[in-house]
Amino acid sequence: MWRKLQILAACRPRSLCTAPGATIFALSSGRGRCGVAVIRTSGPASHQALRSLTAPRALPRARRASLRLLCDPRSGAPLDRALVLWFPGPQSFTGEDCAEFHVHGGPAVVSGVLQALSSVPGLRPAQAGEFTRRAFAHGKLSLPEVEGLADLIHAETEAQRRQALRQLEGELGQLSHSWAETLTKALAHVEAYIDFAEDDNLEEGVLEQADQEVQALEVALGAHLQDARRGQRLRSGVHVVVTGPPNAGKSSLVNLLSQKPVSIVSSEPGTTRDVLETPVDLAGFPVLLSDTAGLREGVGAVEQEGVRRARERLEQADLVLAVLDASDLAAPTSREFLDTVMAPLVSQDPRGSSQRLLLVLNKCDLLPAEGPHPQPWSHPHLLLSCLTREGLDGLLGALRKELAVVCGDPSTGPPLLTRARHRHHLQCCLDALGHYKQAGDLALAAEALRIARRHLTQLTGGGGSEEILDVIFRDFCVGK
Amino acid sequence: MFPLRARGLRVAASLSRQHLPSARLSGDGAAPGCPHFDVVVVGGGHAGTEAAAAAARCGSRTLLLTHRADTIGQMSCNPSFGGIGKGHLMREVDALDGLCSRICDQSGVHYKVLNRRKGPAVWGLRAQIDRKLYKQNMQREILSTPLLTVQEGAVEDLILTEPEPGHAGKCRVRGVVLVDGSTVHAESVVLTTGTFLRGLVVIGLEMHPAGRLGDQPSVGLAQTLEKLGFVVGRLKTGTPPRLARDSIDFSVLKAQTPDDPSVPFSFLSETVWIKPEDQLPCHLTHTNPRVDAIILENLHLNSHVRETTKGPRYCPSIESKVLRFPNRMHQVWLEPEGLDSDLVYPQGLSVTLPAELQEKMITCIRGLEKARVVQPGYGVQYDYLDPRQITPSLETRLVQRLFFAGQINGTTGYEEAAAQGVIAGVNASLRVRCRPPFIVSRTEGYIGVLIDDLTTHGTSEPYRMFTSRAEFRLSLRPDNADSRLTFRGYKDAGCVSQQRYDRAAWMKTSLEEGLSALESIEFSSTKWKKLVPQASISTSRSDPVRALDVLKYEEVDMELLAQAVPDPLAKYTECRELAERLKIEASYESVLLHQQEEIKEVQRDEALQLPEDLDYMSVTDVSLSHEVREKLHFSRPQTIGAASRIPGVTPAAIVNLLKFVKATQQRQAVTNGPPRTAPHSHDASKRQEL
Repeated sequence: MWRKLQILAACRPRSLCTAPGATIFALSSGRGRCGVAVIRTSGPASHQALRSLTAPRALPRARRASLRLLCDPRSGAPLDRALVLWFPGPQSFTGEDCAEFHVHGGPAVVSGVLQALSSVPGLRPAQAGEFTRRAFAHGKLSLPEVEGLADLIHAETEAQRRQALRQLEGELGQLSHSWAETLTKALAHVEAYIDFAEDDNLEEGVLEQADQEVQALEVALGAHLQDARRGQRLRSGVHVVVTGPPNAGKSSLVNLLSQKPVSIVSSEPGTTRDVLETPVDLAGFPVLLSDTAGLREGVGAVEQEGVRRARERLEQADLVLAVLDASDLAAPTSREFLDTVMAPLVSQDPRGSSQRLLLVLNKCDLLPAEGPHPQPWSHPHLLLSCLTREGLDGLLGALRKELAVVCGDPSTGPPLLTRARHRHHLQCCLDALGHYKQAGDLALAAEALRIARRHLTQLTGGGGSEEILDVIFRDFCVGK
Repeated sequence: MFPLRARGLRVAASLSRQHLPSARLSGDGAAPGCPHFDVVVVGGGHAGTEAAAAAARCGSRTLLLTHRADTIGQMSCNPSFGGIGKGHLMREVDALDGLCSRICDQSGVHYKVLNRRKGPAVWGLRAQIDRKLYKQNMQREILSTPLLTVQEGAVEDLILTEPEPGHAGKCRVRGVVLVDGSTVHAESVVLTTGTFLRGLVVIGLEMHPAGRLGDQPSVGLAQTLEKLGFVVGRLKTGTPPRLARDSIDFSVLKAQTPDDPSVPFSFLSETVWIKPEDQLPCHLTHTNPRVDAIILENLHLNSHVRETTKGPRYCPSIESKVLRFPNRMHQVWLEPEGLDSDLVYPQGLSVTLPAELQEKMITCIRGLEKARVVQPGYGVQYDYLDPRQITPSLETRLVQRLFFAGQINGTTGYEEAAAQGVIAGVNASLRVRCRPPFIVSRTEGYIGVLIDDLTTHGTSEPYRMFTSRAEFRLSLRPDNADSRLTFRGYKDAGCVSQQRYDRAAWMKTSLEEGLSALESIEFSSTKWKKLVPQASISTSRSDPVRALDVLKYEEVDMELLAQAVPDPLAKYTECRELAERLKIEASYESVLLHQQEEIKEVQRDEALQLPEDLDYMSVTDVSLSHEVREKLHFSRPQTIGAASRIPGVTPAAIVNLLKFVKATQQRQAVTNGPPRTAPHSHDASKRQEL
């Protein structure tokens, strides 16, 4: 990265150095099925980004849409023919230099452009709310606008958090955590050597050991980055999780919605034990539908594991479809579900979570034809019979509305974005590890490790300097 | 009311006669009513002396109140100043025209820069100091400072009145009440009570109330603060026994010699007062299993170690080292206490065993077989106030115009205390004159890191500075503390002398000129190879190479480069410091550029100010979780930057807070005209141009 920075320094006019901060980029359109996706950048290197991707053409005229061929600056491979816009600051959304790429909305194109941007020196993926904060800092937002946007950002953060959870629960998550741990330890040992070695007796070989660990990490990261291109299956789409007490008809609903027998259906409670995923097209939106085990306590070990997985999946849902047996609302399992699962979901500050919820009362065919409809909860509900398909149209209508809300969020196109973030941070981490070896002095070497660690902890969380001190005082007897 | 300057001198004269009746110092009985000062500083330790001197430099009539005037400038623990991280703080204190660095350049007996081989960003300036000389020199400095008066007396209580409108706080301090019932009125008060708040000295199973061995603790003041609603915590620290020099066999121990030439602490010192050959050596010895055995067998006689009060993890007693890392040889440095002192300080042997067992333990150690313990080691337990209750200007949130500095805020170390002292003194003075506070950001100095860490995170153990705490370590170097802080100290605080300002300005201009000269000289790599054959320049590069890039090679310095290109580089080698600083700037150039960008992102967030009086627990029109509310309520971050550093405060919460920033900006726009920008951004951008 330093090498890149040197190049950057050489080709940037001096005056631009005073423009604040790094340049950020993000997908700023929704992730519904759309013809055009908009990718935005903000910051001093925006023109650099625009030129790198549209080379050899000059910058387009300010605030005028121009049609350009986008190419990957590293390989020269064409990515898409797209509309590009150039907004020199301060007349832009954030007040900084901004660029916009309106590309064709397919995942491959979007992913390609995001990765191309990440390779431009000085650019990094935006953090949640960062565009807004920059706009605010430059006086581009009025007070009511800030208030409106705060909720949006909250949703964005929540969506990113859930997306990160999805990514991190798997193998990649475990890997990232173990890498971060190794790196924290290596850095702590180098820091201990700087802050204490001179007149404390650190054990021999502290630095050598750190060197070895960094080298091993470099190999592991390098191999992973080589591999990741083929590896990770992209689980795109809105995550809709079907949940409820046992035997409420969750699997029947999944089968009904996906129009194929995804799950085994039986009248026996606890039939579904693992999480079953199926990608479906619901009302025109890409959806990943998950069938989960019925939530109840005190059953066999296998089913308990199923329940644990179900709860975990619930955490990651964009939209929760809660299913209850309309004819059996008084049953203990139904009551328990309402109290322990629904209550927390509903009582959340409506703005405190962007998780959406639909309550479905299944088996309405078993209800007496006349008489009051059951009212299990203050939350509005839909009546449905998976058997007779009564109420299906109503459910699909409600789903369409909810999905439109979820997909309408700008910048929640996570799967692509998250993957781009992952690659970006892992690559930067790897670059920094390379600088560790070449560094002229130990302070520079430690700086390389700090940068590397900062990139990894962007993926795993944590990363404060107090953690480093904890390791130092755990591993060494220092101080006088 | 007082002929201040003359008064200070008279006290100086009295002090040189060693013992003096306190009546000579206080009040003179001449003043009817009670005396009145702009700033009263309570305590004469490292925080107190810096605070009093800084307030006086800023032009405030200042009173330093201390239990005993003859303990002003006393080094209560180790006979050394500086080190890694701590040396950084001293350079910054000096850049703000503080005292300790200059005094150390006049009082050291062994100067040594640590971490020489690890890069200039982490060089640790350090020296063994002659305790007696330091105290004498400090007292002379304090007593000759214009506008500064010294008075002996123990403070028992604070005078409080209704709060002034427009500021947070439930009351306002108007002065102090002394133990004898007399009062001193003040516009601002700085408390630097060290370990004296309910101080308790512990040796073995004996405990007695004392701030330091032989000195009375402050109990009344501690009660007053608690009654006011301050959250009080308890910390402990310790000090090793002192040994008789003539009872130690140095001949069997490894000696450490000082640097030649000595590197002074102060930007104003060309050199130190003593030649390298006249300086004293330190010696190294180690503990052994017999020491471990004595400690482990006698834990039941050692109440300090068993207490649950938090001690520092990094300045551990020998007991905790043995308990946590058994079966190791632990280092013990034998440090001279002064040129004509008979005492030796065994650094690393902080211990609270009963006195007779301390001697038994010490005589197990190589070189110390016949050592005599002159004063036993002891532990101190004392009150500190949760530093999240103070603002980054070190003013308390509860009591207007009351400032805290030093161990009262939970820190340990002379340098940490001195750094807070300067900031508290400057701000106490600025507050009196209704000027905006002087806040050092963590992007500008270790002082900023220290205060930001304390005020946003608090501390549960005595806080000590490490370079690993500074995220912008490569930018916050000992060599450039003046370009980071002296200009702001001069313009925004008014605590910097013209002489220092001129010198820093000359250095800044010379550095800028030198760097642009180095950037403009470009030759092919082949030509450089011929000009500077010592450097391992690769000739495969076809593009022209700047002189600045050649200077980056480890084996190249300005001397060498100036021999190759005398015009225009020769003139930049005339000043050794300038030549050295150019070399440092060159070696870190590319990384610094990267760091400047990050610094700007942080500074942008620090320019966004949150309202002082926001009640986070009750604001309704904003969605913040209860947990986040509690954290914000307790730490009361002043800026978005500080808020984002509180663990658990999410990006979404930060964006939610932006609307309050907007509200503040609008309010300020109404009352003060244009909104205030970050005080440091101006200088930071100048630094960038370097």
